[in-house]
Amino acid sequence: MALFEIENLTYFYPECDTPALKNINLHIEEGELLLIAGGSGSGKSSLARLLAGLIPDFYGGKLAGRVLFRGKKLSELGPRLLNTQVGIVFQDPEQQLVMTTVEAEIAFGLENLGLPQGEMFRRLAEVMGFLGLTSLKQEFTANLSGGQKQKVALASVLAMNPRVLILDEPTSQLDPLTADEFFNLVERLNKEMGYTVVLIEQRLERCFHLADRLAIMEGGKILRSGPVREVARWEAENSLPFLPPVAKFFAMLRAPALPLTVKEGRKELKKLYPSPPAPEKDQARPARLLPVPATRQDKRVVEAKNLWFTYPNGKEALKGVSLRVNRGEFAVIIGENAAGKTTLLKQLAGLLKPGRGRVLVMGKDTRTTALPELARRVGYLAQNPNTCLFQDTVEAELRFTLDNLGLEDGGVIDDVLKRLGLLPYRQTNPRDLSSGERQRVALAALLVAKPALLILDEPTRGVDCRLKKELGSCLAGLVREGLTVLMVTHDMEFAAEYAKRIIMLFDGRIVSDGSKHEVLGNSLFYSPQIARLFGGTVDGVLTVEEGLEKISANGELSPCLATKAGL
Amino acid sequence: MLEHLFYEDKGVLLQNLHSTAILGYLAVFFTLALLFSHPLYLAGIFLVGALAVVTAEALEKWEAYLKAGLWMALLVMLINPLVFHAGKTVIWRSPALPLLGNVSICLEAICYGAAMGIRLLAVLTIFCLASAVVHPDKFLSLFSRFAYKSALVVSLATRMLPAAARELANAREMLQLRGVDFAAGNLKERLKKYSRLLDILLLASLEGALQTAEAMQARAFGSGPRSCYRRELWRPRDLLCLTAGCLALVFSCYARVKGYGDYNYYLQLGVLVPNPASLILLAGILGSLALPLVLSWGWKHWPYLRLKI
Repeated sequence: MALFEIENLTYFYPECDTPALKNINLHIEEGELLLIAGGSGSGKSSLARLLAGLIPDFYGGKLAGRVLFRGKKLSELGPRLLNTQVGIVFQDPEQQLVMTTVEAEIAFGLENLGLPQGEMFRRLAEVMGFLGLTSLKQEFTANLSGGQKQKVALASVLAMNPRVLILDEPTSQLDPLTADEFFNLVERLNKEMGYTVVLIEQRLERCFHLADRLAIMEGGKILRSGPVREVARWEAENSLPFLPPVAKFFAMLRAPALPLTVKEGRKELKKLYPSPPAPEKDQARPARLLPVPATRQDKRVVEAKNLWFTYPNGKEALKGVSLRVNRGEFAVIIGENAAGKTTLLKQLAGLLKPGRGRVLVMGKDTRTTALPELARRVGYLAQNPNTCLFQDTVEAELRFTLDNLGLEDGGVIDDVLKRLGLLPYRQTNPRDLSSGERQRVALAALLVAKPALLILDEPTRGVDCRLKKELGSCLAGLVREGLTVLMVTHDMEFAAEYAKRIIMLFDGRIVSDGSKHEVLGNSLFYSPQIARLFGGTVDGVLTVEEGLEKISANGELSPCLATKAGL
Repeated sequence: MLEHLFYEDKGVLLQNLHSTAILGYLAVFFTLALLFSHPLYLAGIFLVGALAVVTAEALEKWEAYLKAGLWMALLVMLINPLVFHAGKTVIWRSPALPLLGNVSICLEAICYGAAMGIRLLAVLTIFCLASAVVHPDKFLSLFSRFAYKSALVVSLATRMLPAAARELANAREMLQLRGVDFAAGNLKERLKKYSRLLDILLLASLEGALQTAEAMQARAFGSGPRSCYRRELWRPRDLLCLTAGCLALVFSCYARVKGYGDYNYYLQLGVLVPNPASLILLAGILGSLALPLVLSWGWKHWPYLRLKI
């Protein structure tokens, strides 16, 4: 008997005419790891909530069909029994923590279950030990890093001893290394502890290899579900984008095998390159540790000179950063959480003033230039675009910026809305839009001021691959027109695809600065999957397209370019 | 500035007491600040409070409290002589003022105002001490046994406060780079600009509240009778501190019964020390209140004591 059986299920959220889930049929077996992929608004999170019993109990709405858990209707289980069987970890760790300290947070669910004191002690001790949280037990949850918060959220759920673990994009806000660490835990839970895991994830390269089965969702339907390799092959045949870069690469090559991991991919690649060629010296240059040489001074947009900054609590966030970004550059800042990336962005935007050193934006010193004056030159989009949306319509949001800066419309609102695909939402309340659309509205509200420098803090967080592609193309287009883009991201695939220059920050200092091939190509852990695939075989390959070009140039196999656009 | 209002773990003994012990001790402190009107008793309580703040390594936090408290205390000292004229010792009489006539400033009213100012500072110092040494979670855990819903609401609010402050700062930065100058314009215009920040905060908080509620339901909140997780241990230091607090309370009650803790401000200032026993009792009270502070010092500097308590 399957653990979960969903039969002919259709669900409408309250006051919605279109179903969030349409005719879902899905079986989940005990002990398997099911990966659910799909675009934004495809119904993945709704399905997760359904499995956790939050739909319809918490959300209300109309539901047809049935969901069985161990052969029994989910609605008949009762909340307490359900909570001891199914646990869910949400995307945003900030919003799912309730108590003020780690220990109290983990105990919260156990208290709700009415467990005796001794049992609570035992479970807390085991879970904190397993997840390495013992040293943090008295720590305030507000002071934890993103990765620690997500670990605490996982611990809170594990302490309730569920048999099924539902993870709804749990690593979308984590840096690559922390995300890998999180997935290692998930793998252990699945493989060694026997947990059944339902994982929803956008960055498939991180977790594809962990899954036993894969389900692809679109428009509230499950398009296909089955063993990972089989569904991946079907995806490749149907030009769907929910594949990790390695699989995408071999699918485009129409290779007979479809590797899903770097290890499998390298085996396949060996067939094309039986003996690795000597490294191409000009492409394997080490990344510079010094700033880009002072060329094109007239095109300098922003410059930091020996920048130091310490927060009032004593944390020294930037330590002698020197950086110059020229007009038309698309630069990406990478690094672990708390490396000083956001602080650097705020310094370059003029929101924070240097402790020592200087920041010049279009030649203006940020210490002596008023923010409203800088606002005409710099657009800054914070991690959470919701923090700037408050008008009743999308158009009013854009007009708000123009009015504040004393700028005329002159058709710029139409232009920007059109460019970002927001024309249909002109009169819609921004808060009624999806997260990806909200982000575009926030971006549009900056672009109407025609800034020379656009600063973005993790704009790809929680964004699906299609929206990411749209955002990347849009930014690349703006860069071609002369805009300078400087952004922070944890998404190495995005950085490899669209950026020209990569700056790596560690502990408040720039440790690497150069072209994307120099930095990502030589990076040990901050490299995209394709770079790992080609590492030691062909240097200077970061993206699927570059890989295909190399293979074409090698004359070994002609890539099928017809499928390139689709994938 | 805002971070000084939140609890920060300094590893001092007062922060490592059982919540019952530390809350009991602080409750005695607070009661005594309200119980006495004698200026020496009030000054003594204020001084021990200040010493406790130093022991708790919360001087920065105290500074924030004092900045507001000193002005309020000064205001009390100034307003009281202007309003009350019942004292016999007139030290200045104003010329005839419109509506008020002749205003007399009495020594007694000044002294009473000063004593009340010290009481205010003592109370603020105790609140400062409480926020520095009482872990909010331990405090809530104590009350959650009989009022868990209220405790949970307070916990959520406590957790939300720093998050809301961060959100507010982010929203402000984003608006500044969209051309909003919060310093420009008259009061009405500035209020309008700030009201936008509140709009954003409200919208974000409502959305966040929905997600938090969902996460709580997913963790069995409201699914039936609940139990209470008690993680605090009772140690000798807790007994010592609570005993010290109780002792101070017993001495105080005796002083009150004997009338040593009272003082006549009107119509004429009474004798400051009518009986040596008054000073002996005061020393007993202050000594008892200071015992946990001595232990705290010893706990930090004397490993043997740390081992034993």
